[in-house]
This record gives sequence, structure tokens and C-alpha cells, in this order.
Amino acid sequence: MFLRAVRRASGLYHIFLALAISTTAFAQRDTIALEPVTVVGFAPERFMAGLKIQRLDSATLQQFRFQSIGDLLAFNTPLAFKNYGPGRLNTVSFRGTSAQHTAVLWNGLNINQPNLGQTDFSTLPVAGFERLSVQYGAAASAVGTDAVGGGILLQSSGTQPKGIRFFLGRRQASFGNQQTQAGGTYGAKVGDVLHFSGKTLYYDGRMKNKYPYTERSGYYMEPSAAEQRGFVQDLILAGKKGRKLSAHLWLTDNGSTLTPENPDARQLTRTQSRRALVQYQTPSWTWRTAFTRDLIDFGAGDYSQLDHTATDRFLTHLEKEMAWQLGGGSATVNLRVGGEAAHYRTRVDDYTAAFISENRADLFALSRWQFGPRWLVSANVRQAFVTRFDPPLTPSLGTEYRLLNGPKYHLTAKGSVSRSYRVPTLNERYWKVLGNPEIRSESGLNKELGLEAKWQPSESQQVTASLTAYHNRVDDWTYWNPDRNYRVENLQLVVARGVEMQAQWRADFPAWQTGSTLGYALNRSSQERVYNAYAGDIVGKQLVYVPVHQGTFNAYAQRGVFRFTTQVRGQTRSFTTFDNSRDLPGYVLVNLLAEVTGQRGHWRADLQAQANNIFNALYLNVGRNAMPGRSFSLNLLLTYNSESK
Amino acid sequence: MKFFKVLGVVLLVGSLNACREKDPEPEVYELGVMVLNSGNFFDNNGSISYFKREKTTAIVDLFEKENNRAFNGGVQGYAETGEHSLILVDNDKVGLDKVEIVNLGKWTSEASLGAPDIENPRSVVGVSPTKAYVSCYGATGVYPNYFANPGYVAVIDLTTLKVVKKIPAPMGAEKMVKLGNDVFLGNASGAAELLVIDTATDAVKRTLKIGAGPQPISPDVNGKLWVKTGFSVVRLNPKTDQVEANMRVGTDPRKSPSSFAITPDGRGFYYIYSFYDSVSGVDKGETHYFGIDDTSIPGNKPVINRAFTGLGVDPLQGLIYGGVTPSYKQAGYVVRYRPSGEKLDSIKVGIAPSGFVFK
Repeated sequence: MFLRAVRRASGLYHIFLALAISTTAFAQRDTIALEPVTVVGFAPERFMAGLKIQRLDSATLQQFRFQSIGDLLAFNTPLAFKNYGPGRLNTVSFRGTSAQHTAVLWNGLNINQPNLGQTDFSTLPVAGFERLSVQYGAAASAVGTDAVGGGILLQSSGTQPKGIRFFLGRRQASFGNQQTQAGGTYGAKVGDVLHFSGKTLYYDGRMKNKYPYTERSGYYMEPSAAEQRGFVQDLILAGKKGRKLSAHLWLTDNGSTLTPENPDARQLTRTQSRRALVQYQTPSWTWRTAFTRDLIDFGAGDYSQLDHTATDRFLTHLEKEMAWQLGGGSATVNLRVGGEAAHYRTRVDDYTAAFISENRADLFALSRWQFGPRWLVSANVRQAFVTRFDPPLTPSLGTEYRLLNGPKYHLTAKGSVSRSYRVPTLNERYWKVLGNPEIRSESGLNKELGLEAKWQPSESQQVTASLTAYHNRVDDWTYWNPDRNYRVENLQLVVARGVEMQAQWRADFPAWQTGSTLGYALNRSSQERVYNAYAGDIVGKQLVYVPVHQGTFNAYAQRGVFRFTTQVRGQTRSFTTFDNSRDLPGYVLVNLLAEVTGQRGHWRADLQAQANNIFNALYLNVGRNAMPGRSFSLNLLLTYNSESK
Repeated sequence: MKFFKVLGVVLLVGSLNACREKDPEPEVYELGVMVLNSGNFFDNNGSISYFKREKTTAIVDLFEKENNRAFNGGVQGYAETGEHSLILVDNDKVGLDKVEIVNLGKWTSEASLGAPDIENPRSVVGVSPTKAYVSCYGATGVYPNYFANPGYVAVIDLTTLKVVKKIPAPMGAEKMVKLGNDVFLGNASGAAELLVIDTATDAVKRTLKIGAGPQPISPDVNGKLWVKTGFSVVRLNPKTDQVEANMRVGTDPRKSPSSFAITPDGRGFYYIYSFYDSVSGVDKGETHYFGIDDTSIPGNKPVINRAFTGLGVDPLQGLIYGGVTPSYKQAGYVVRYRPSGEKLDSIKVGIAPSGFVFK
């Protein structure tokens, strides 16, 4: 039956796809929508009705192009971070969950390091991708494992216009820190039909962290240094009728050293990732195949003995989208079915075997139901398969309804109920001493309700706002149990609930452009199960490294070639112990940016001056040592564009 | 205008009154129990808790209470001498360790001595009211070259609050015990020698070959020094340097003794006898006792059927104090027992209680 439906539908899908595109644009759900939603690219976003998705605009990405994704998100989203220091491990917490409950997708490929099940946000520079969406709440039915608290969706450069653009960028910052970027984008017609384009980027950053002080208000500065190199290559061949073949490569190499000047005690953590992906898309089919290699080397002293972790992953993914019209055109249904198969190979010194391989597969069906112009529903289901154990069946149901729909305003209500799961990390299962081969997948149930409003008080102004409340219950939460000498077990039950608010105002006057964004999140997340005599002390307590209140504020004003921006991030204290007996104090960070652009002929120069932490606020890293005080940087980007005049 | 004059007078009188109000007398932490909480090593959150014996609640972080800042490192050792208390603070990052010196009674900070004088401090003893010794590993390396540098004993002048000398010591310089005018320095690197430092000259005056990794425990009522070496304890006559007794503690090949605590009468020791059971993944063990005149230590009759992360015996009341660490991510407890092993009560303290100082 199903196959017949697919066959019957295939002749019609071109028409319906066009419809789907237009309705998608109409039903924009994002609160920061500076780009129109496009169907090509990362499809699952369209099947996340009811979930909150925040797209960061290209101007913001450009402002952070010499910084890491961690810096970018800290000042633009209400996410919490667990930061070990400048240039060191920096992991995210979505809505009161942990780093491992965040899916990080690059062109649809989950790039969480498989041994650790998380991504170090200090190793992903903003220059390495072109688009970023932050998706809040469980979306495991659409994207798979790890999407328990939310997801970061990164996309590489898309089709580039005709011509050649070279760029050279340099950041010079306080404490002897610097970064250089060089690359280009290019596009050309090939024959009558094909358009070839691409992007090449090399970046090289050095952080010496030479602070002119050894302590701040009684808290020490950690001596550290970091190096970061990477190479990005995107090649896109676009054909007729939306067909596109693309190849993407992202190599990263990060070295972070503690106490670099002490030859006996220095500690190196080197993280290398090689990610390669080939994708072929037609309006209905998407096929991609990818290879990733993640290497971690850790050592101290003379580095003669490095602990080595190497994990390879081969993955292939195929999906097909179909569309129908129901009820004489009153409803449109899109169905996207597909599957993914991955093979993992890992070599870690301290695992139960020198070489371990496993297979994983996913089958999914995503559907999107548009009933008239106001009502959208998505219903998804996914089943994952993993060698030796299978995660639970993962369905989700989301909906959006436009309550008010005027010419200058609209108000949309949305809601979603979704299951989620997290496949245990390789460390959790195979680590010889502390791992647990019996460990199960964590499983979550996320419910959320939200309102989104857009208002255009005048031709030149626009206001958007959103309010979301969520409740996420994650059972079988893994815990390195001290009663079992820190062996990992599915002991805990974590309930996270909270509220997120976001408001944006934008005004474009003839001479001035200005705007501001305000974000706030309340995340109350606690462990709720008593599993031993002393768990009473931690039941109901706020989860570690999750501040209850967080907020961001950004404002900019632009006149001609000048742009001024202020970025503010504040958070209340975050606890470092399960019983909330110890904490890292809250803080407010304020940055100021001034930018100027100059253009002459084919050349363009973007100069940016940054003053970070201008009030010299004291804040601490995870190890209770101080983060840097006020600092400055000057960033210059030179661009040659063969097409500009 | 008159209104402002009146207001001015009111404000002036008010502020004068406010000045006249005396600050409450600062609390003095004399009689009571100090609990050394080593903290979670990577979170740098060690602390010292304080409580009066009759209380069942503690000031969890005494230093933070009095100084509005925490140690920012693990607590590795503690000693009192003259008008000072010295706390060894071990940060997980190299170069950030320190010795915090506070006023003995008030616990207000007097000085922080850090790198390069202090690196991996291990043990502290008061030598005189104006002098203290701190043994240090120096910067450590990676296994098997963990002790990458020779150890040393930093001599702290408590009048100037400075490190005035470093007495060279073999690698792995560890626990110290003062006996008369000598300080006995143990070793964690596996070397067999106990060093004897003359506190008058601040120099090593002789070395005693005891056995692998000797750690001085405490002198007993007869003035004999007890030293742990491997799975055994040794009774040393400090006057003659003779080893008078050498006894293996217990017979269980899996278990090892630790956390020796002398009884108030100086005639015996409580200790923890435990092992890590890799089958169940649990630390298993008990708390035992031996007398200084015992001829063997069978280790088969526990006083308390439980092992602790720290052990102490209160010389004033004779109660046994056990430190309980539910995990390194939550507060620990002190559980008090009568000498018979009967449980009395428990007090919540800082993270990983590992030692006690009774005042």
C-alpha cells in the first residue's frame, strides 16, 4: 500500500513541492528570520513544527567570524556553557541538560565526538560554516540521537554567485592572541545547465594567553596556550530542476596546552577531526555519504606517551520526500522517509578491546501536514538500531496554529510532544574500568508550548517576540556512580522545565539602521530519583553548571559604513556540586564593537574593533580559576571581488 | 531651607550614632573540631569545616566565611603554631598551589605563599611559634616519571610570612612529624629512607633506612615514633634510631592499612583496613584498632564495620570521627562513634572530609 502511494505521488511532487516551498515561507516560525527559509539544505527543520528554532543572521555570524561558536552562542542565545578556560574545553547545556544532550549537526551529519558524545565548542570556529540554527527542545525523531535538550544545526556554504572572491583576514587581540584566515569563494557556469561553485578557507589561530596579571581578586589565572588550524573546502555543482551535487570537507586541528612553560607538568590535549561529506540532492531525493575521523591525544611532560583515541565513522544516508494534496487542495502533506547506516571503528588504549567496531542504523518517517494557511502539524517517528542494543521507538507530534493574522501582525501558537533518546557514548560502554556494557539509552519526553508574534508598527520597523515553556523528563540519565567506584549506570531521572523569552526590534530609517534583541531563559533542572542513602541530599537540586536565570541583550546602530554594537550576557550562579553546596558566582559580561567598511574598485575592507568584558567583570572557569578581564582585539578582513565595480 | 538644616542634623546625629555602635566581637575559633575537606581535585573546592563538639551543624567553609574567598584548591594539610594556622592548598593546575596563613583564632588571612616557593605541598608542621615546615613534591611529571623533580621542605618564617629556605629532599617528600627538636620526613616515591631534619639548623642531619615508602604516623605515649611502610607498621626509638618492632598489619592480601589515628591515651591506633573490590566496583573495608604493646596485628576484629575517607580520634572525648564521602560532587559527612564502635551522630561538612584537627 505504502509503496503504491509513493509511486502514485511521485508524478505530482514537483507541483506540491513548489506549494510546500511557498507555504513554508509563509509559515515562518523563526524569531530571528533574516533569511528566507529554503527547502534545499537541511530538511528536518521543516518537520519540526511546534519546536523553537532560532536562526542567527549573517551579520551576526560575520561579527564573530574570528571567534568560536561558543562565543557566538554565548552572546546570542540563552544557552549555558561549561567553560574550562580560553582556548580550552567549552561545552554547552541546552535547557538544563548536559553537553551530551545536544546534537551538533554539520550538513545533517551529527559531528559529536563519538567517544565522548559531545562537541567542544572551542574547536569550531564560526568561519567554518555559513549558516547556523539553534533548535530548542527534543528533536530526536527528526535528527536522531543526542537531540534531547536541543540541537545546533550548521550548514556549509551553498551555491556561490559567478566570479571570484578572495579574502584575507587577521585578528590581533590582547594577551598575544591572533588569528589569520585566508580563502575564497568562486562560481562559474559550466556549459548551458550546470553551475559550479565553491569555497576554500584556511584558518590558523594562536592563543598565547599572556595575561599581564597572575590573579584577579584572589583567583588565579591559569597559564595556558592554544593553537587552532583548520581547512574548509566546499564544492557545489548545481544542475537543472534543483539537482545539486556537493562535496564538503572540514579538517580541524586544535592543540590546547596547560602550563606550557613547565616542561614537567605541561598538559597537551590535541583534538583533530576530519569530516568529509558528499551529497546529492534532487527536489525529492537526498543522498549523502560521509566519513569522519576524530582523534584525541592527551599527554603531559615530554609528550613521549600520548593517550590516543581514534574513531572512524562511515555513514550513508538516503531520504526521499513526497507530497500530496488532500481534500481537494485544502491540505498539503509532505512525507519524508529515509534511513541512515553508520559503521564505527574505534581504537582507545583503555577500552575493553584494542579495536572495537559497531554498526548503527536509523529508519525514519517525517511528515508535515499543512491544513490551510493557518494550521501546520508535523508527526515524525524514528527507530534507531545499534549493535547489541536498540534505543526505544521515538515518535513526535508538533503543531502550529496562527491565531491572529493581520496585514501588519500575526500571532502563532505552537506546541509539541516528543520522545528523545541518547545512545550511550563509546566511553560509557567500552571503557575498561568505568564503562558499563549493560548501559541503556537514555530516554526523554519533551513537551512544550509557545507563542510567536510578529508586528510591523510602521514601514521601517519590525518587532518579533516569542515565549516558550517546556518540560523535559529524561529517564535512565547516566551517572558515574561513586558507590560503584564511578562506573557509569542508568541511575538518575532528570526533570528540566523552564521558560524562554525572546524579543527583537529592528528599524531601518533612511540614514540609520538600528535594532536590538533581548533574550531570557529560566531553566530549572533537577535530579529526582533516590538511589542510595545519600541521594536525598541531591534530589530536587539544580543540575550542575546550569544557571537558573540567563539573559542576553544585543543592540546595534548603523549609519553608512559605520556600525556600533553592544553585546551583553548575564547569568546567575551555577552550582558545581550535586547538592548545590558549591557554586560559581553569576556575572554579567559586556562587549562593545565598532565596525567600518571601505570599498574601492574590486576591493573591500572590513575593520572591526572589539572591547570584550569592558567592565572587567570577574567570572570563573569550571576549575574556579579566573577568566580574563577586559581585553581588546582588532580584526581586519580584506576582500577582492572580481564582480564588484 | 530650615527643612534641610533639620534633615542635616538628623543625618549627622544618625551617622554619629552608627559609628558609636560597636562592631560585634569577631568570633574566635578555639575549642572545637576542624575538618579538612580535600574537595574535588578538578573543581578546586577544598575547604575546612568547623564545629563545636556539642553541635551537630558545622560552618562548612570557615576560610570563606571569614575572608569572603575560598581556598580555590584542594586542602592537603593543616597545622597550627604560635598565632597562626597554615593550610596547604593544592590547585589542579601547576603553579597555582599555595600555603594560606591565617590568624589562629580569628581565621583572617595573613598571607598566601605560592609558586615558585610552594609546588605540590604535601605536609605541614609547626616547628616553633615563628617557624613552620612545608614538604613539597615540586612539579610532578607523568607516570612512570611522576616524581620528575627532587622534593624539598620549605621553611616559613612566620614573623615575615615568607619562605626563607628550601631544605633539599629526595623526590616524593611527604608526611612530617615533629618529635623533640627533630622533624621526621617520610617519602612517597618508594625510597626506603626517613629523613631527620634538625629544626635548629634547618638541615637534614641523618637518614634512617626503614622500608619502602616510610610515612611517620605519630609518637606514642612512650615517645616512640610509629612509621608506616608498605603493609606494615614500625616502632622506632627516635633516641637510638633502633627499629623495635615491625609488624604486618592484617593478613588479607588484598587490603592495605591507612589513616592511622592515635588514641587519647597514646597507647593505640585506629586505622582503616580496606581494598578496592574490582568485582563489585566498591571500596570495602573496616576500621580497626591495635595497641602499641601488641605483638601482632591480625586485622580481623573491626571496631566499626565501615571504611572512611578520613579518620580521627578526639583526645578530649575519645570519640572516633569518620569522614564519609558520598561522592566528590556533594557534601560529605562526619560520623561520630563511641570508642566501642557505637554510632552517635553525623554532621554535614565540606566535600571529601579526609582529616581532623581537635582543639
